[in-house]
Amino acid sequence: MWKILSGLFLGWSLGANDSANVFGTGVTTGIIRYRTAIWLTAAFVMLGALLEGAKCMKIVGELSLLLPMDAFFCALAAAITMSVLTFLGIPASTSQAIIGAVIGAGIISESADFSKLYKVVSCWVFTPICGLAAGYVLHRVLGYILDRTVKSLTRRNIFYSVGILGAGCYGAYTLGSNNVANVTGVYVGSGMLTPDQAALIGAVSIAVGVLTYSKKVMMTIGKGIVPLYPFSALVVVLAGALTLHFFTQIGVPVSSSQAVVGAVVGVGFVGGVQTVSFRMLKKITVGWIMTPVSGGVLAYVFIKLFS
Amino acid sequence: MFLEKILSHGKKERYVIEDIRRHIELLCTACDVFRMSLEKQNRDLMWEVIDLEREADSVRRQVISHIYEGAFLPYLRPDLCKFVEIVDEVFDLLKETAFYGVDNEVPELLRDESIRVALLNFRMCDMLMSSFEAMLRGEDLREKTLAVRIYEKKIDDIKHDLTKEAEKVRIDNFWAGKTLSDFITNLTMISDIIEDASDHLQIINVSTR
Amino acid sequence: MKIHEFMIRKIEFIDADKSVYDAVEQMVDRRIRSVVVRFPGKLPDYGVLTSRDIVFRVFAKGIDPKKIKVSEIASKPIACVDKDLDFEDAATIMERSNIARLFICEQGKVIGLISLLDVMAAELVMRARGNHVS
Repeated sequence: MWKILSGLFLGWSLGANDSANVFGTGVTTGIIRYRTAIWLTAAFVMLGALLEGAKCMKIVGELSLLLPMDAFFCALAAAITMSVLTFLGIPASTSQAIIGAVIGAGIISESADFSKLYKVVSCWVFTPICGLAAGYVLHRVLGYILDRTVKSLTRRNIFYSVGILGAGCYGAYTLGSNNVANVTGVYVGSGMLTPDQAALIGAVSIAVGVLTYSKKVMMTIGKGIVPLYPFSALVVVLAGALTLHFFTQIGVPVSSSQAVVGAVVGVGFVGGVQTVSFRMLKKITVGWIMTPVSGGVLAYVFIKLFS
Repeated sequence: MFLEKILSHGKKERYVIEDIRRHIELLCTACDVFRMSLEKQNRDLMWEVIDLEREADSVRRQVISHIYEGAFLPYLRPDLCKFVEIVDEVFDLLKETAFYGVDNEVPELLRDESIRVALLNFRMCDMLMSSFEAMLRGEDLREKTLAVRIYEKKIDDIKHDLTKEAEKVRIDNFWAGKTLSDFITNLTMISDIIEDASDHLQIINVSTR
Repeated sequence: MKIHEFMIRKIEFIDADKSVYDAVEQMVDRRIRSVVVRFPGKLPDYGVLTSRDIVFRVFAKGIDPKKIKVSEIASKPIACVDKDLDFEDAATIMERSNIARLFICEQGKVIGLISLLDVMAAELVMRARGNHVS
């Protein structure tokens, strides 16, 4: 049972890193207090993981045949990859790290299912695209409706307060439901835990990460461009959450950060602003390649050395 | 924190809006009284303008404290405070010109033009009030900010005439000349600041869309 | 809205016996499009000289502006209205007489003028005032 420790570590770092995607804008613009934000995030992440978290766990196990020891090393490889890349400032996705690690393990046991991998990778590619589309459409449509219904200043004010709160909760819910598979999916795949057990344990680790270590990331308006106006902030979080929820139904864990980045770009397009810089694209592409690759390589090395 | 915000149905916000409305109303009244004082050559009315400025000052402090007690979302608060500060600047200028009017008679040569500027200032305040109400309703402010700019341009034209006419006024000593010059400068600057306030309303309007 | 709110009070005058060249110099210097011509005599007697008159009837015809007097091309009499006239009525009068400016007179003396631009500005202000009655 000690083998789940690496998964817990992975969950903790996911909670610390990704919670900024949910209430980051709300906290930095002062709309919601940090303490309120983290407790809400923790609560709704757990709710999402428990209700729908199992949907994405299947595919993690289907990619390779995993032994309990493999599961341990995969989670460890993913966790180390995440920590190093985050330290180096390269945007890294937990989903990509763990999937890379699982494939790495699969290569050793010659059980890697590359057809399923194809499905997963295409979902990764579509995540920011979906985020972009959702951000653009939502901004347009919601803006249109709002201009016609909620016109007075005080009503708008109330709408934004409630909206950002609600969107954040929904975002936390979808984060839990989609990403808990990254954390403990390998243990389901290797038969150590049932999906429900995995969801619960994973959710708790993520929640702990949110509650203990998310402050630094949330307070840095750092992960790229963060919209400071309440309407854009609302749309970005909502679009990211919808994207994540969509991929949960498909059954593939994706990156919440990339969904949000796509949404920010999509919202930027509405105003005719090009928010993507070539340099940022380069960074993202490097992250996309390096994350699964290093996850895979590390897992391969660990398993080869210690099994 | 949030439940209280929703349940109070924007009570704090309503107070702030009432206060700002009162602030702008006081400005309109002050400008009108100033104009009347010039027209009727009644210096007592000038004192009334100064009293109104004092009252407006306390309203301003009320607005700011109500805002920071938690009205409106944080992103909006600095903009609202800035608006009130700008209106306060107008009051300060008006007070300065009123002080001149208390101690001195506006030279005959400059009276008509000064009255015209005072009237146009009043019209601008009225338009500012109208813009504020429109902003609350979420309407487009373009027409109103344009009207404010038109008034400001008219006053700019008169300012040019005023300064040329002022050269013909006989001055007995440097300080008399300086106070008259300050009077003209302040009187014509009022419209510039009102224009700033009107522009700021547009900024607030845009940031909420 | 009454026209006296937006009228221009600084009127430029020129004596009728001056040359068109003097008029052009004055108008270009002050950046104005018309000048009121003062005819000699005890009673106030006015005409108006506009940039259209000068360009179309002097320059375009190749006449030397120094050789022609203002009185020869000025229009008489000038269109005079009361200062309490409404802008809407002023616009109607200007349309009917096909003129670009109206003079505001009091007891026979010219005290101001409004141009097409002033009418437009007034229209915008009236529109903006529309839904708020002072």
